[in-house]
Amino acid sequence: MGAVRGCNIPDNLSYNVENNAWVRKDSDGTVTVGVTSYACSLAGEIVSYTPKKVGRSIEKDKSCATVESGKWVGPVKSPVAGEVVAVNDAVTGKPGLINKDPYGEGWIIRLKPANWDADSAALLSGAAAMSAFESKMQADGFKGC
Amino acid sequence: MIAERARWRVIDFGPRTAAQYVATNRAILEARQQGLAPNTLSFLSFSEPAALVGFHQSVDQELRRDYCQAHGITIQRRVSGGGALYVDSTVVGWELYLDRRTIGSSDMLDIARRICETAARGIRSLGVDARFRPRNDIEVGGRKIAGTGGTYDGDVFLYHGSLLVDFDVERMLRVLKIPAEKLQDKAIASARERVANLKELLGEAPPMERVLGVMAQAFSEEFGVDFERADALSPAEDDKFRAALAEVETSEWVEQVSRPAAEAPMLEGVHRSPGGLLRVSLAVDLAKERIKQAWFTGDFFVNPRRMVVDLEAALRDSSLPDYRATVNRFFDGYPAEMLLLRREDFVAAMACALQTLARGGDAASG
Repeated sequence: MGAVRGCNIPDNLSYNVENNAWVRKDSDGTVTVGVTSYACSLAGEIVSYTPKKVGRSIEKDKSCATVESGKWVGPVKSPVAGEVVAVNDAVTGKPGLINKDPYGEGWIIRLKPANWDADSAALLSGAAAMSAFESKMQADGFKGC
Repeated sequence: MIAERARWRVIDFGPRTAAQYVATNRAILEARQQGLAPNTLSFLSFSEPAALVGFHQSVDQELRRDYCQAHGITIQRRVSGGGALYVDSTVVGWELYLDRRTIGSSDMLDIARRICETAARGIRSLGVDARFRPRNDIEVGGRKIAGTGGTYDGDVFLYHGSLLVDFDVERMLRVLKIPAEKLQDKAIASARERVANLKELLGEAPPMERVLGVMAQAFSEEFGVDFERADALSPAEDDKFRAALAEVETSEWVEQVSRPAAEAPMLEGVHRSPGGLLRVSLAVDLAKERIKQAWFTGDFFVNPRRMVVDLEAALRDSSLPDYRATVNRFFDGYPAEMLLLRREDFVAAMACALQTLARGGDAASG
């Protein structure tokens, strides 16, 4: 498990660093999307979660869910395009799960990817992702998780 | 060498309908995100009485729909987070559309704090002791005078607030489902202890021009910028405004979050102790296990008096299962003189209210 300024950045995931989101291809061919621990640290405790509905098509880098923390509303932008196949009902009831376990129980949405190979090519993982997060944190003036 | 000061745009939209207000928010934020709009401070007032729910709220959980319909009060959904508001022509909306990096922080709580402290400083120069109260209120002597909230898209955000220049508290109580409903005749007096407005504090309502002037001055000083006046949206923003207006005027927008009122009951508790009689009304969200709002009244002594409203602010939007810890954390950091009343009495009153859930009976769902 990698970490940047105290924020976990697991090395088995692919990241859109600018949008602070991760994606993982699962064995059944669907993908799981979530937010990074860095995003959670910037947002504070998440108190609301509204995902797009199952069956809806999501474009790459467009909102797949809306979250709220400390009176701030913001989108979660999906790193890849696809059709929503599952939303996280556990998070609907307890949105704080996103903060508690952003890479596990606090996942945001599952998609059937539309263009996995093309969309995922631009994503970063491993050392490249960590270095890009370090640059982003520097630009954001972020002290650490 | 003197660095040139940055220039932000300032626009005073004047009176707008609730739908125009929401569409304006969307249009400028989107244009700012696409690099089609500069950093902007804007102002508006409301041309119609309206009830505005927060982006994630459900109309039926927050508002008395029948009353709104019977009294021509428009129901609309904000793009920002937070709780439901009642607004009319006596409320000034102020809004900032900025890049996070302008603020020098990406921490959303830091950004909110800095903007609220600046807005409070502007309001103070009108002659009232306005202060920021975490997380999102501006208050005078413990009484809320402005609520705030925001939304972001990438590195760009909108943060806005509503400042009460004059205010119809009784109307607010009828429009919003707030936990005062069972206090009956005491409800209005009780609400006045929690909500303030400039007219009441200053003896007369200050002219709008002056309110806008002091707010702009405060933001100019805080961020080291000069303002350039614009009279209207740019053509690119106007196109976005029209598209957004067509969408937000539909019931699909307004009703997009719909949850049963029964999931958000109002609970009442009473606790007698040597320190006095303590009543609490709790608005809770059972599905998310949150306390939405708490309201303590009764016959007891505390000093300072505002301790009660500060405790209510600490409990606002807090975890329901952790309410004891929230109360304890509040008292650990709050110097208060209570004679015979103890912090455990506040916990006991809340426990009593929550017991009505277990009984499944007395909890009225508003």
